[in-house]
Amino acid sequence: MATSTLSGADQGVSRHAVRAARGPHGIVPTGILILGALYCLFPVSWVVLASTKTSGELFSTATFSLGTGFLQNLADLAAYRDGVFWLWMLNTLLYAGGGALLSTAVSAVSGYALAKYRFAGRDLIFNLLIGGILVPSVVLAIPQYLLFSKVGLAGTYWSVLLPQILHPYSIYLARVYAGAAIPDSLLEAGRIDGASHWTLLRRVALPLMTPGLVTIFLFQFVAIWNNFLLPFIMLGDDHRFPLTVGLYTMLAAGANNPALYNLILIGTFVALIPLIALFLTMQRFWRADLSSGAVKA
Amino acid sequence: MHVNRLAAIAAATLAAAVVAGCSGGAGQSAAPSSAAPSSSAAAQKVSLTYWNWVPNMDKVVAAWNKSHPNIQVTSSTQAGGDDAATKFLTAAKAGNPPDLMQAEYQALPSFVAAEAVADIKPAADAVKPEFGEGIWGLVTLGTDAVYGIPQDSGPMMLYYREDLFKKYGIAVPTTWDEYAEAARTVHRKEPKVFLGTFSSKDPGSFAGLAQQAGGQWWSINGESWKVAVDDEPTRKLADYWGGLVKEGVIDDMPYFTPQWNKALNDGTLLTWPSAIWAPGPLTSNAPKAKGKWAIAQLPQWNAGENHSGFWGGSAVAVAAASKHKEAAAEFATWLNTDPEALGLLVKHGQVYPAATKGAALLTEPPAYFSNVPGFWRQAATFTAGARGFTFGPNVNVAYNAFRDAFDKAVLSKTSFSDALRTVQDATVADMTKAGFRLAQ
Amino acid sequence: MKSANGGARVNRAGAAPYLFLAPALTMFALFLLVPIGYTVYLSLRRTKVSGLGFGKGSRKEIFVGLDNYATAVGDGELWAGWLRVLGYGALVLAVMLGLALVFALMLDAARVRLARFSRVAIFMPFAVPGVAAGLMWGFLYLPSVSPVHELFGVDLLSPSTVVYSMANVAVWGGTGFNMLVLYTNLRAISPDLYQAARIDGASELQIAIRIKIPILAPAIILTTVFSIIATIQVFTEPTVLRPLTNTISSTWSPLMKVYRDAFVTGDLYSAAATAMVIAGISLVLSFAFLRVVKNRAFGEA
Repeated sequence: MATSTLSGADQGVSRHAVRAARGPHGIVPTGILILGALYCLFPVSWVVLASTKTSGELFSTATFSLGTGFLQNLADLAAYRDGVFWLWMLNTLLYAGGGALLSTAVSAVSGYALAKYRFAGRDLIFNLLIGGILVPSVVLAIPQYLLFSKVGLAGTYWSVLLPQILHPYSIYLARVYAGAAIPDSLLEAGRIDGASHWTLLRRVALPLMTPGLVTIFLFQFVAIWNNFLLPFIMLGDDHRFPLTVGLYTMLAAGANNPALYNLILIGTFVALIPLIALFLTMQRFWRADLSSGAVKA
Repeated sequence: MHVNRLAAIAAATLAAAVVAGCSGGAGQSAAPSSAAPSSSAAAQKVSLTYWNWVPNMDKVVAAWNKSHPNIQVTSSTQAGGDDAATKFLTAAKAGNPPDLMQAEYQALPSFVAAEAVADIKPAADAVKPEFGEGIWGLVTLGTDAVYGIPQDSGPMMLYYREDLFKKYGIAVPTTWDEYAEAARTVHRKEPKVFLGTFSSKDPGSFAGLAQQAGGQWWSINGESWKVAVDDEPTRKLADYWGGLVKEGVIDDMPYFTPQWNKALNDGTLLTWPSAIWAPGPLTSNAPKAKGKWAIAQLPQWNAGENHSGFWGGSAVAVAAASKHKEAAAEFATWLNTDPEALGLLVKHGQVYPAATKGAALLTEPPAYFSNVPGFWRQAATFTAGARGFTFGPNVNVAYNAFRDAFDKAVLSKTSFSDALRTVQDATVADMTKAGFRLAQ
Repeated sequence: MKSANGGARVNRAGAAPYLFLAPALTMFALFLLVPIGYTVYLSLRRTKVSGLGFGKGSRKEIFVGLDNYATAVGDGELWAGWLRVLGYGALVLAVMLGLALVFALMLDAARVRLARFSRVAIFMPFAVPGVAAGLMWGFLYLPSVSPVHELFGVDLLSPSTVVYSMANVAVWGGTGFNMLVLYTNLRAISPDLYQAARIDGASELQIAIRIKIPILAPAIILTTVFSIIATIQVFTEPTVLRPLTNTISSTWSPLMKVYRDAFVTGDLYSAAATAMVIAGISLVLSFAFLRVVKNRAFGEA
């Protein structure tokens, strides 16, 4: 694998030539992917359609039909409790953006060290970090809350941000990407030139790992965006809630209060938009082949 | 947390060493339900946090904050339900609960048992006459202490589709026997239509019906608890619904699902034995059927009686760990007894106030029931005979066992009283394990 | 992935890797190890009530040794939960990872159109929050509103079908994630590995089966391990569907029991003990799986 990566770097261009030659043989893979896309979009499309319905239409018209209340729902959402939805959205952006950024940084340096260095305790550290995934977060949330309370941080932005930075899966991914994307010869050359470990990481390793890091960022961003339990238990002040917890307060208002179905659905729809936008901006990084990146670097 | 710290800083800057007096609580009693700022707290500015899930509570709190510059309350909207209680208990355990908490009546005993809420007897006693005997019992739990100020209550009555009752030619049932007979009639005439449904997901509703039947699930006997979830009245109730479900003349879909909402809208479900707060959910879940529902007394077990039970309702409790218990108790009494506050709660919060004078504020019928001009007057008559029961310290366990056991019973069409037995056993086992003293 | 080892040979420098790992290890200690330690501590304790349970001092936390573990291990419902999860998990793992692999290979195929659209679409479910998912599946599954029920007359929430409905939620939600993991791994493979084969006239299918899948094996294995652990901890899917149907109990899966104890009935101590048992079983299962396939996982056995 190591040697092939190196030679591949030299010939990266020819791959594009082959890719460019698109022919009729693409029908089968394209067809399969379209089927997969439809399967995945089918339920999502319901959210979109339902967000256009008035509360009367939601429970009385056909499940997959267009409603007439989209703008009204949007206006109601914006007006709900003086626009608290937008605050939740900003909070979520802060948690997800900040958390994913920090998480990607931590995973990147860890993955790089684990993949490109030999040192005592490497396997132990890797297994330990990965082992974190074994303990379900459902049960960790309450102890984490109690411990954050002891240091006076419960209820703060930090209490939601900090526990989500370390993510075993991301470290594993970073290790794999670092192993595959960084040719040893480049590091070797850098070392001969007298570059420090830090310089090698910054100038050689991180640029090469970019497509992988984008994936990690995306995963973490969406995971934190949708995390419910941790912010639910950590936060008391509803002005710091992320969307998931905020929308939940609209649903679970006790049996004696109406659930605000319309607002939840339009809120979900609005919350999908930044995620789609993020995905679309991020995915151009995948076009660069991990291996051909070596040449440009 | 944040607010508490701000309060601490403010207190330090003012260099007013008063906190000790506040947490002691014995000497100064808070002014009862007065709109004037309390004299005891006047010297010091206090900030309180209040967790609740009453719609538009911000507006009610704003009115208080305006007239009480020295006691500023911040309302924080939480998600209601079982996990809200867990969240509060966890916060209390960690030492940073909000100063005030919305406590559903069935959750209050577990708050008390966890020493998470304070006894606010001095402040509360002054407003005791404002509440009915039954409701007051729910916040004293039969002890000498008072653990909260009642906010709203949910006496039950029968909601029915007036138009469709006419269409199917059935009279409003006055007894449960008539209700069963009507269920058969409707189902025979139109197999897709049901008179009602049994929801295995809503133990609160079942508990209300058990109260109507005369059940006493928990009671305190000297220094020990008595648990009788499967007492005779409740067994009768369980077998009644079990029979109807088995016979197939009653639907078995749970409440508050899209399917149930649709049935309420399209007229395939004709009644809902529910609480006085039902106009709220009906407005949002069944907007199409607006103006078609009417109310009646809950069917009785014996003709001529007038009994009902309670489903839902909550009190406002003060956290044991609050640094400003008196100020908090003052706010809680104002919120639930002051005419201005009650008016706002009714108008913005869709709350059915627990305070007796709250009834006078309810003049206009809910918009959804514009076809029933005397809605509130009728409701008052229908629910006059509502009786509650003491809730125990582990209602959450009992309710959870109820959902599991009745899910199974509904699915396999097995005996409901056996399912009830399972609930009783689970409740007793949990209390025994925890070490509560139980009477035999 | 020999590059991992090769790289290790290149860099032999003392403190650097430890410094690079310091942030992760610090976070690990603070936000995982300490809470886990605290969970273990809790799992050895219980509250003890006296009398009515009201009033000062009527409730104490006591040390009970392994009592909670004994209860957790001796709970028949928990083992029944394991059995249910086993059947469900096998189904989900096979379908989800199979689809993820197929989609990833298709995305990487030489001639494919609309790849970017499909990529976003298949990843989309990952972005739907749980609050809306409950409503969404309600509308898709409940007989009176479900279009599937209308078309085929199948009750998707009956005792015999609910497992498949639940598996569908999991497959729908998890395929995109695993697809992207495998896809980004594929992108790291040098193209000239199969360039020669392509010139020799090998079909895309042959290239996928003979070249890409073997190279992808380590990634597939680890994705499987992570999915096994996630499936053992299945919680979201049954919890989302539970309010809609009578067929899913509050202890359907082991982790649901943990949630019930911690968040519904307020017994954090039992929840902690059961969670430790789940972690232990996850550990054993994933180790067993890795043992079987270890040589291929990192090529460093």
